[in-house]
Amino acid sequence: MTTNDRPWLKHYGPKTRADIAVNDFRNIAEMLKHAAEKFKRKKAFTTCMSNGMNGSLSFEQVDRKSDAFALYLREKVGLKAGDRVVLQMPNCLSYPVAAFGVLKAGCVLVNTNPLYTAREMQHQFVDSGAKLIVIINMFTDKLQEVSKVHSFDEVLVSRVSDFFNPAVGRVMDLILKYWNKQVPTSPYQDNCFELAVRWGEKNFDRSKLEGYLKDISPETLAVLQYTGGTTGVSKGAMLSHLNLMSNMQQIFELIGTEIEEGKETVMTALPLYHIFAFTVNLMGFYTKGGHNILIPNPRPLSNLKRAFENYPITWLPAVNTLLNALTQEVWFCDSPPKTLKAAVAGGMALQETVAARWAEVTGTPVTEGYGLTEASPVISFNPFNGPKKRNSIGVPLPSTFVRLELENGEIAAPGEPGELCCFGPQVMLGYWNQPEETAKTLREGWLKTGDIAVFDEDGYLKIVDRKKDMIVVSGFNVYPNEVEDCLVKHPMILEAAVIGISDEKTTEAVKAFIVLKSGVDMPEVTEKEIMAHCKQLLTAYKLPRVIEFRNELPKSPVGKILRKELRREV
Amino acid sequence: MVSQTEQNLLALMIFFIMLGMGCSLTWRDFFSALRRPWGLFIGMFSQFGFMPLIALALALMLKLDAYQAVGLIIMGATPGGTTSNIFTYFSKGNLALSVLMTVNSTLFAIIMMPLLLFLYGPIFATDEFTIPNKNIALTLGILLIPVGIGMFIRKLSANVGALLELAGGIVGIFVILFLVVTWIPNNAAILSTTPWQVYFCAIALGLIGIMVGYRFAKILKIHPRSCRTIALETGIQNGPLAITIVLLSFKGPVADQVVLIPALYSLFIVISASFITMYFRKANTNEEQRIPDLL
Repeated sequence: MTTNDRPWLKHYGPKTRADIAVNDFRNIAEMLKHAAEKFKRKKAFTTCMSNGMNGSLSFEQVDRKSDAFALYLREKVGLKAGDRVVLQMPNCLSYPVAAFGVLKAGCVLVNTNPLYTAREMQHQFVDSGAKLIVIINMFTDKLQEVSKVHSFDEVLVSRVSDFFNPAVGRVMDLILKYWNKQVPTSPYQDNCFELAVRWGEKNFDRSKLEGYLKDISPETLAVLQYTGGTTGVSKGAMLSHLNLMSNMQQIFELIGTEIEEGKETVMTALPLYHIFAFTVNLMGFYTKGGHNILIPNPRPLSNLKRAFENYPITWLPAVNTLLNALTQEVWFCDSPPKTLKAAVAGGMALQETVAARWAEVTGTPVTEGYGLTEASPVISFNPFNGPKKRNSIGVPLPSTFVRLELENGEIAAPGEPGELCCFGPQVMLGYWNQPEETAKTLREGWLKTGDIAVFDEDGYLKIVDRKKDMIVVSGFNVYPNEVEDCLVKHPMILEAAVIGISDEKTTEAVKAFIVLKSGVDMPEVTEKEIMAHCKQLLTAYKLPRVIEFRNELPKSPVGKILRKELRREV
Repeated sequence: MVSQTEQNLLALMIFFIMLGMGCSLTWRDFFSALRRPWGLFIGMFSQFGFMPLIALALALMLKLDAYQAVGLIIMGATPGGTTSNIFTYFSKGNLALSVLMTVNSTLFAIIMMPLLLFLYGPIFATDEFTIPNKNIALTLGILLIPVGIGMFIRKLSANVGALLELAGGIVGIFVILFLVVTWIPNNAAILSTTPWQVYFCAIALGLIGIMVGYRFAKILKIHPRSCRTIALETGIQNGPLAITIVLLSFKGPVADQVVLIPALYSLFIVISASFITMYFRKANTNEEQRIPDLL
């Protein structure tokens, strides 16, 4: 393949190369070590609670403690390289220590959503065959249920207050346990994660750690990241050390000049168990000497207020839902963070109205990117100094090839929508124990994303919609995103979701679910008014046939609106 | 009826609580409140317009005797106090607005209280009495100094700030409980002979004030959170200040009669405001944006 196949290269900044250099490091562990040696006593992670209580770890401390945990895993528990370790925690100081420790031990990290139900946990634990779990004390009750089906060699329990100043940590534990009533009693409560780390610190042995590192090659599996993917049941995407390191390098190659080493403060409100925050915040900004402000629970949104007040936030990786919600908060709009450089949106389509409102409130841009778990996750991104295109997910990253395929496997003509397929060093190794699913998704190294996209004349990509969400009304393709975008332009509408319902005349018809802004009552906005609003913006076949008002919409943990839940209800 | 020790204890408690509140505030909060000065104007209007009028109407309708009536009028004309800040804090209202309103009304009280008593006092034909400006200034000090110290502490260490904020709240609850529990038995004799009209006025002044303040702000389309703040600020007066003013202005058995309503008001407002605070807190939770479980 040549650069001629990549018309987007001309939009890269002057310092961005078409392809990333050969990686300096053999594995993530070496990369993390390098960062720790460089930034030493600088603060790497701070957990900020809603009342302003906080605890921090420096680069040195994170490095030392994660080394200690790696030793504990291999020497005390007796895990071997390649054994899977589950992390099931909200954002807290234990997250980097545990995650980095697992990677340094040559084990495989299985990031798990702490809000999973016992059934979902069970599937993930059994499927991955995990041997050890580090779980937050708030959710140990569910683990008991799961333990009937899947037993771990060892369960370690972490707390949000781990590694805090002991006085502050004690008060926090009391509040969480007795005031918020969030901590159930469990048989595991004495297996403290902090004690495991202490064991490793006591029995520190550098030569052993170096020994683990030698066995980790770039192609070694690093993370099993579970994803619903394009079809039903949750599958583990296998991401190697090289996948993740390449993706970080690719991202920084494209936007690197905007990031000042050792000077950035990044708001980590998105959960670290999600691949976006995992790659970008936890590891990416860490290698650049950034200070991560971890928010254990951004709900309600006022929990972010103290963090924005107390720290000079420069970057905010976010999803559309979070940005939308922030611009509806009075405290945020009155004093938007002055130090902010940009918000980075991914994970779901960024709505035009949200991007515009964000720019108006904060005076900083939202830069949209695109990716998916299977690509570690970023595939494309908007260059900061490139042309500003509305609704565009930008251009493919360096060393990334993108083509749009039609149903029949041919390449779409310019301007014609097709399924986005991607080739690059960030594309996963495959799905864990799912050769058939892997074969369907990976074809000769090309990842089929299931998203319909279109290239404009400059090589900028625009996502039209999910392949499976497309609605066919009388033979015309209707993309729910477009209809939703129109709906939320109505001043009274907070959120909207659009799905297809079966219809006698048109085979399928558009149904819209609408959430009004708080304080707006139903009689104030009628269906008629909304239809009139849509008619101004959409051709007839795209108009919603049915409108339903809801108090809220079903959403994934990162705030993606789950259309499939709505379809199931209908 | 209200001993010096009790007054001192009250002052100390308020100091401690305000310190904790200062720890929860930044300049941004005050800037936010000042950007919408409507809240402040409306607050002033209900504070010195509605409240004294409610007091006057209650006194006339229930035919209170002259001393008790004067006590009620003084209570109605008193500016907002720190108690309203405490309840605003617990109801998750707009604390910065509450503090600004208290400061504002306390400052204006130096002119407004004499003016109001000059207007309404003669209706009940009592001798003139003095407004102790020194005490009003003291109130301002007790309000602003700890808030300032708290804000400074938070700037130095967010952790210490958060701990003090928590401690201030807890201390507040205990001292209020202690005062209520000790004050009632000490004054059982007077309380048992007091006519029901006096009790009614002492309770109604605060409750009606809260309702009127809320409706008024609501009609003017203020943000719901600020409506609740204005309501609490209007209804909850600076009880200790009113008591001090009475004790400095009257002597002997007359003082005991005049101070009756301010003292009873101070007691009952804690109880009624607690219920309203719980209600407001719930309303606030319901209004919060429903964002998905990002945990």
